[in-house]
Amino acid sequence: MLLSNLEILPGKRVEKHLGLVQGSSVRSKHAGRDFLSGIKNIFGGELTAYTELLHDSREQATQRMTEQAKSIGANAVLNIRFSTSSIAAGAAEIYVYGTAVALVDE
Amino acid sequence: MKYENRQPEEGINVSKGSPVKTFLQLVISTLLLLTVSIFVLYLSGAWLAKKIPFRYEEAIMEKIDVDFGSSGSDQDIREYLSELSARIAVHLPNPDEVSYTVHYEPEDVFNAYATIGGNIVFYKGLLKALPNENALAMVMAHEMAHVSHRDPVAGLGGGVASAIALSTVFGSSGSEYAGSFINGAGGLTAVQFTRKMENNADDAAILAVSKLYGHTVGADSLFKHIDEKRKESSKPDWFSRFSSTHPLDSDRVENIKQKTLELELPTSGDTTPLPDLW
Amino acid sequence: MNNLLLFLGLLFCGWFFGRRAEQRHYKSIIERELEFNALPAIASRFPPTDTAYEQQLVAGSTVVSSDYFKSITAAMINIFGGEVKPFEALIDRARRESILRMKAEAKSAGADMVFNIKMETSQIAAGRTGAIEVLAYGTALIPTNVVDIASAPNVTDMNVATPA
Repeated sequence: MLLSNLEILPGKRVEKHLGLVQGSSVRSKHAGRDFLSGIKNIFGGELTAYTELLHDSREQATQRMTEQAKSIGANAVLNIRFSTSSIAAGAAEIYVYGTAVALVDE
Repeated sequence: MKYENRQPEEGINVSKGSPVKTFLQLVISTLLLLTVSIFVLYLSGAWLAKKIPFRYEEAIMEKIDVDFGSSGSDQDIREYLSELSARIAVHLPNPDEVSYTVHYEPEDVFNAYATIGGNIVFYKGLLKALPNENALAMVMAHEMAHVSHRDPVAGLGGGVASAIALSTVFGSSGSEYAGSFINGAGGLTAVQFTRKMENNADDAAILAVSKLYGHTVGADSLFKHIDEKRKESSKPDWFSRFSSTHPLDSDRVENIKQKTLELELPTSGDTTPLPDLW
Repeated sequence: MNNLLLFLGLLFCGWFFGRRAEQRHYKSIIERELEFNALPAIASRFPPTDTAYEQQLVAGSTVVSSDYFKSITAAMINIFGGEVKPFEALIDRARRESILRMKAEAKSAGADMVFNIKMETSQIAAGRTGAIEVLAYGTALIPTNVVDIASAPNVTDMNVATPA
């Protein structure tokens, strides 16, 4: 499965557009991490716990999108976009979507 | 170029599994976590509270100004109880640090309790059930031992610590609980002692009674009496053993017996009768 | 005691009605998705240039709220961390519903397809019982016939391809 945020790939031609595919993942860190991050917020700096959390979420969301694309017979997802949003206190959602296409070599 | 909208498989973005099962697992883990943290908080609160000097306990009691029913006409009963407590006090640990004030409530309640500031309250209902002075001395020595071990303030400290923790989790209803502990007389009788505190108090009490009378006869008669009463009622044994913070009374009789043997306290002598005051 | 009963009551209501609403919503989503299948929604920025189209911005938005059962479960997950599964179905429903509403708008405008779809998600009610809004928007492509092209002065040459 080819994933790209380009729309036109050099040397390849889109044969068919198969529609929108999307993946999402909602996660939260445990209360201890929230507390420590709250303390870190006083001093500033990178909140590694959340970086890690969002990284894992993004991977899962991408994997789910790929699964959707696979289930409709696509071999690539183009024009991929990521978005992050806060769903409830302490829970973040990673959402990824793109166009599933059938690509052929030119 | 062709455009179509194919339908991806259903349920890729939604996790499978029963939400009720997940919920129950979460409830169990949360309760476990809560129990463990409250237990730890109770112990650390109790440990910290014991570091508070006794005179602060007295100051707290002055501030909240509790009426222990001292305005009644039973002055002779109060004098007798105070005199008995003074005789017991010399046989208990920490005689210089703590002081005792014994109160009498002319109510038909089968109870006696010790609370912060060295205040000990006896109810008429309990006094009526006692067969002799040795049994009364045992109960009084037990409550006084709580004071000298600083159990009331430890219980209060632990209670406040865990109540504050509860109030952060559950909001207002928890803080009401914390408030009743800190503010008023309502919280004074709610101070709970652990089983270990009770056993330690019994140990100190039987020693004090033995020193006072020269023997331990009659000391456990109250607990025997309660035990017999309980056997008549239909509650199963394990239930009361599990739910009560006071050790089961047959256990206490056993504990007192063992302590008597261990310290080789004399077990023969005459009981002292009670004065005819109530 | 009363508080506990109230809590359990709310919990049951949340679970029962939340589940029923979710099942019904999914059923209707799946039905309408089949119905709108002929109207593709494409995330690409480059529309086909071999047909004449008129363009129109179309959008669809949905606000969904969590139920009591889900909120309590999520609050407990927040203590231990991990995947917040109860919210996954919630947001999935909101997204698909938004796309469907956008498509419905496009269909009523007579469009063939919707291009350059973008999604926006935001939390609109603060606190544990969150409500989320999902907005889907894109450009609907409405086919125009030759007569229309001639009489429509606002259609630029760039967008008008030679009719087949």
